[in-house]
Amino acid sequence: MIDRGSFREIDWVLIGLLVLNSIIGVVFIFSSSHYLPGSYALKQTIFIVVGLALLFLLLAVDYKVLMTYSLYFYLGVMVVLAGLLLFAKLIAHTKSWIRLPFFQVQPSELAKIALILLLARIFSEYKKSTLSSSVGVQAILIVLGPFVLVAVQPDLGTALTFISLLMAVLVLAGLRKKTIVLLLAVSLAVGIVGWNSALKDYQKKRLTTLFYPSQDPKGAGYHILQSKIAIGSGGLTGKGFLKGSQSQLRFLPARHTDFIFSVIGEEFGFLGVFFVMMTSFLMIARMFVSVGMARDRAGVYIIFMASMLIAFQFFVNVLMIIGLFPVTGVPLPLLSYGGSSLISNFLAVGLVINVRMRRFANV
Amino acid sequence: MLRKDRIYEDLSLILKRARIVFYVLAGLLVLIFGYYWKVQILDHQKYWQLAEANRLRERVLPAPRGVITDRNGKLILADNTAGFKVSIIRENIKDFEASCRNTSRLLGIDETDLRARIEKFSSAAAFQPIVVKDNLTTEEVAQIQSRKLEFPELEVEVEPKRSYPFGKSAAHVLGYLQELSPEDFKSGAAGKRHWGDLAGRTGIERQYDDMLTGEDGRLLEVVDSLGRSRGEISREEPRQGKALRLSLDYDLQKKAEELLQDKEGTIVALDPRTGEVLALANFPTYDPNKFITRFTPEEWLSLVSDPAYPLENRAIRGLYPPGSIFKIVMAAAGLDAGFVDGRTAYFCGGSLEIYGNVFSCWFKPGHGMMNLTQGIKNSCNIYFYNLGRRMGIEHIASYARLMGLGKKTGIDIPGEKDGLVPDPEWKLKTSKTAWYRGETISVSIGQGPLLVTPLQIADMVACVANRGVRVIPSLVLPENGREESGKTTIPIKREIFETIIQGMWLSANDGGTGRGAKVEGFDVCGKTGSTQWISTERAEKLQQQGKEVKKTHSWFAGFAPRSGPEIVVTVLVEFGGAGSAAAILAGQIFEAYRMKYDR
Repeated sequence: MIDRGSFREIDWVLIGLLVLNSIIGVVFIFSSSHYLPGSYALKQTIFIVVGLALLFLLLAVDYKVLMTYSLYFYLGVMVVLAGLLLFAKLIAHTKSWIRLPFFQVQPSELAKIALILLLARIFSEYKKSTLSSSVGVQAILIVLGPFVLVAVQPDLGTALTFISLLMAVLVLAGLRKKTIVLLLAVSLAVGIVGWNSALKDYQKKRLTTLFYPSQDPKGAGYHILQSKIAIGSGGLTGKGFLKGSQSQLRFLPARHTDFIFSVIGEEFGFLGVFFVMMTSFLMIARMFVSVGMARDRAGVYIIFMASMLIAFQFFVNVLMIIGLFPVTGVPLPLLSYGGSSLISNFLAVGLVINVRMRRFANV
Repeated sequence: MLRKDRIYEDLSLILKRARIVFYVLAGLLVLIFGYYWKVQILDHQKYWQLAEANRLRERVLPAPRGVITDRNGKLILADNTAGFKVSIIRENIKDFEASCRNTSRLLGIDETDLRARIEKFSSAAAFQPIVVKDNLTTEEVAQIQSRKLEFPELEVEVEPKRSYPFGKSAAHVLGYLQELSPEDFKSGAAGKRHWGDLAGRTGIERQYDDMLTGEDGRLLEVVDSLGRSRGEISREEPRQGKALRLSLDYDLQKKAEELLQDKEGTIVALDPRTGEVLALANFPTYDPNKFITRFTPEEWLSLVSDPAYPLENRAIRGLYPPGSIFKIVMAAAGLDAGFVDGRTAYFCGGSLEIYGNVFSCWFKPGHGMMNLTQGIKNSCNIYFYNLGRRMGIEHIASYARLMGLGKKTGIDIPGEKDGLVPDPEWKLKTSKTAWYRGETISVSIGQGPLLVTPLQIADMVACVANRGVRVIPSLVLPENGREESGKTTIPIKREIFETIIQGMWLSANDGGTGRGAKVEGFDVCGKTGSTQWISTERAEKLQQQGKEVKKTHSWFAGFAPRSGPEIVVTVLVEFGGAGSAAAILAGQIFEAYRMKYDR
């Protein structure tokens, strides 16, 4: 299925940026966890190798073929997510994980890839200049399924990522003003109902402490405050590698996962923040550039959603750790420790490359 | 350029939308850089300081209290030992309910007690440790430390702990410590001390609290988010409180306590030359160590509800009628005011009718003709009834006050009582009735509303022993910075005291009521007393009816030797019967003193 011509078109620049970001991640995972048992940096390195292997495996299959099977993929993931709620044991207070002999898998990460493919399949046939309500509702329903299943795990961060895919696809298909108003009204209603019935207390607290972090410095505001202290105390050039007191003395929560960027901010200061953000954003930009190289509508949707998936996580994370967004458990893509998240992001990048490399292929 | 060949549908619209989204994201990135710039560059100082404060913890190193010794400085009466205590730090509690439950189980304390304790200090800042259990065993310490990760809110500290090696001995002198209450902090009484610190509540521990407390040290250390130390930055050692040397002679103190065993009463011995208290023993008593190790609720209840009041320092707070001891004051007053002289004699026929009432002598057959010295020796009531009738209450009251009754002696422990010297003015004020003449007759033999503390009696006898020089009793030696006790000479002639002393000498050495106090070769002078709670007539009636008669309190007050007095001893035994019983106890104190300071 893979021909030499397409293989030559692989976007090595993007893969280079992908690996560069991942290696930066390994460095800071080491900084934030070298004193803990569990050799996280080494494990993350293994995940990167596995991720690369899976990425190349994905490239071998034409995205058109992947889209053909996307419905089964989507349904399969839904079944796993439902089964997880019924049978899984709580790990870190959520039912997000499948326990396997040597590691744990987070099936909700795979749901992201399934959603990209299924939504792209539906919208590839949609050629009107603006969104019609029938296809809009269809898209909403498709996303709603995994959203609910993941939100009740509870993993609001991943569930919100699904919403970002939905929004991406709707924007691309052409939102009319009327629809925007309608969506705002619906989300407001959902927000009010959700606040009063669905959101857990700790989630509510996270929202309120977003605006008043110092009110409860040892409770929900603790994470934000410690993270801001870490970043702010880093200054222009930082305290030096392995010398961040906030991180090394463990004041910083979830240092090697969600709050890894705070470690960067503390140990390498604003310059480090600037460099790492630029590296991440360059990768996102490189993905966006590929949009214009897609040979068909489906390809555009896939690249756009895959780029938005990573961009959304990136922006939410860097806003969250500095207190501009509620603490929702969204990792920094490619840099935060975690195999499932890393591999799903590798696969998303893989989809972009997959589309781009086949721009000259005959249909 | 190739696009036209390849693309079969018009994607320009969605490509344009994708581009717009990308520009929006790029714009957002610029804004985010701006905000990071603000936090990292503009607000850097603020967060830098927060980070420093985060990792530095100041820890208080409690100073050991000053050691308290007896007068020789060798025997330690209050010491310090190492104690472990565990505190709860509320700001580290994740789930209050679960924490209360688990902590009470881990420490083996009652959950409601634990909650009550945390509640008591709810006004303190959340980072202030609240002591929840102390005197931990090493096993308990190991258990808590090994579960530090589960219980980040618990903190074990070593600190010097007050201990009293002799337990109940001299408890009322030493006093006890109690934890500072939130009110103490609010009122500022706690000074520079910290939550959970113990402070002197009574006795020497209270009076000299500032001196004994010492200065806490300070330790600045780097800690991680679980509060575990990662190294010291600076350390300022605690300074122990000043050592105190009491005036107590522990041999005499121990002897006095032995003598009082299983009685209710008090023994005070002091040096009349300086006012230094050599022994101050009360019984029943309590163990001040218990205030350090905390009482169980039952122990505390039984201590405070004990009808014999073990916590009460009878020597300075017990109010008793002085009984016949007061005849010393009467004699001094009568002689000095010129109502009688050494030769004035009255006839004792066992009873006397005054103002239409019959007043009895304790010796029914009567003493016969009595002069002053004989009256003191035999403690004859009739002599003093006559003297009192002639003098009147105003004279009696003013001489009683002159000799130190009716107001605090000024001893250096808190809580002393004033006692009461009654006069018509007092009566009018308190009961709105006029003084009744018969009351003067009762007061003449130390009965009626007259009330004294055993220490006041000791101080009064010291004044007699000094032939008119009053001293202020004190419990610490002057080297401790105590103000030199002011001696005052009262305006009563020396010969008058010699006359009284002659009577007191006869009482102890010539078969008088105080003969039990006699010590061969030590020239004890003394006076007994027995105070009745009911009149003799009523007691006889009760006896005839076969009912039990409540016994009288037994008093003795005296000094030795007659010339150049070195020791004053006062003994009070509640319900001890006649004064002769107390005299026997006093005799043994004089004996012990003589044996030790063999002259």
